Amino acid sequence: MPSRLIRALAVAAFALLPMSSALAQDAHPDWSGYYRVATARQLANTGFKQDYPGEQLNALVTPHLQPWAKARQEATDGIAEDPGQVCLPTGMFRYPVMAGIFAWLQEPGRILMVFSNINTAGVKRVYMDRDHPKHLLPTWNGDAVGKWAREADGNKESDTLIIDTLGFNDKSWLFGGMQPHTEEAHMIERIRQVKDGLLEFTITVEDRHALTSPYTYKRYFAKQASNEMPEEICNEDPDTWHEFRNAAIKRDREKAAKQAQQAQ
Amino acid sequence: MTREALREPTAYRAATTGSGPARIFTLVAALLATLPCAAQTAPKAAPNLQGVYQAIPASATLPGGRKNQGSPSAISLLPEAAKQAKAFDLKRDPWKLCQPVGQFRMMAADGVKLEIVQTKTSVTMLFEDLAHGQRHSIYLTRQHPAKLEPSWLGDAVGHWAREADGNKEGDTLVVDTIGFNDQTWLNSQGAQHSDALHLVERIHPVLSGQYLEYKMTAEDPKTLAKPYSYTRYFKKLDTEVEDDPCDYQ
Repeated sequence: MPSRLIRALAVAAFALLPMSSALAQDAHPDWSGYYRVATARQLANTGFKQDYPGEQLNALVTPHLQPWAKARQEATDGIAEDPGQVCLPTGMFRYPVMAGIFAWLQEPGRILMVFSNINTAGVKRVYMDRDHPKHLLPTWNGDAVGKWAREADGNKESDTLIIDTLGFNDKSWLFGGMQPHTEEAHMIERIRQVKDGLLEFTITVEDRHALTSPYTYKRYFAKQASNEMPEEICNEDPDTWHEFRNAAIKRDREKAAKQAQQAQ
Repeated sequence: MTREALREPTAYRAATTGSGPARIFTLVAALLATLPCAAQTAPKAAPNLQGVYQAIPASATLPGGRKNQGSPSAISLLPEAAKQAKAFDLKRDPWKLCQPVGQFRMMAADGVKLEIVQTKTSVTMLFEDLAHGQRHSIYLTRQHPAKLEPSWLGDAVGHWAREADGNKEGDTLVVDTIGFNDQTWLNSQGAQHSDALHLVERIHPVLSGQYLEYKMTAEDPKTLAKPYSYTRYFKKLDTEVEDDPCDYQ
């Protein structure tokens, strides 16, 4: 009997070994789950509030535009020229409102944000084990790298995930108010869990060619009770999509012809 | 044996049915199995599919004579469905309209590149081709809901099974998807399916995990004359996925 007990204890100790080593290797928090912009009700009595909620974010972004960017904004057709209308990505700068629910998937070396509206928001892949490549081809969602930091949080320290994204193309807008940006756009997100199931994103956007100075705002995302992601299909009505797409092609051709004419 | 029975820890069964010292030993083992860390290590038998993969060309043959077989264009439709397919305007192909094309067509596409993200509760397939809105979220910890709203992507649930792999057994992720609407096509010739479409995918790593063997079976008693299966092999790549949106330029 005692030998069997020793054997059982040995089995128990052996079984616990992988757990302790796993904990030592991965001391960072795991925020996996399904999130959506926190509502006023979810933030009630938390002491946190959304900066410039919803469409009000335009009031923060627009005053930072350089004169050429302001002129471009005013000349833009807010519906016909919206990339999302032809199922192109709307870009990372608009996701705090546009993307609906997103899945936060955390795996070794990478964190993924998979947006339910996958045509127009896509996937944000945050690489935790590398820096930005030296030569980046501009893309809709840019190149995102992340690192964990321990930062002061009141009288204690908490884990902050800092995501640095650059390498954007210049096709998306900074927000729904048609604010343009250039390939120099740079996005920094500092993310911490301020309470169970509530992530705080402090988002800073800078673009030396389009903005007079960087802007920063906070967005809170609440973890959803359900571990599921609803489907959101961009192009359920192909006729309307065709109409917008043809208009977009025509507009781009006219713009290219005009530029060619001016160049001569 | 049911899936529930497969999941029941053997040690737990022994602890509740054994006697004397053996019962103490198995009880300790059963208690360990309930610890959170044990829960994490328990599925270690299940392979980690995480990674970026690309379909091998139709002309390629892997060791063991493994090669792609079948194609969505070879399905047999019931007469009414065949008639309907002929009447369809092929310009309305969801593939050409940046609409979701459905898992059945997507996985058979030439050179399709996908990424598998695996967590404790789900396996997600993401595609470099974002234009087609395809995302395959496979839930590992639940069954299909009793009531399902028809959707483009359907409702996918998965479980791990031990299946024959040549002359040994291997772990296979079996994915069962139902709850589709009738908006996607089964192939580029306009083959429609109904909301009774049922897809079963069997995925398992082969050749030391450097490839995935992927078997897709579609059945739809309202449009298919008989269930149809195809096989694809996907090579694991050491690369990152880039997003390829529905660009009109």
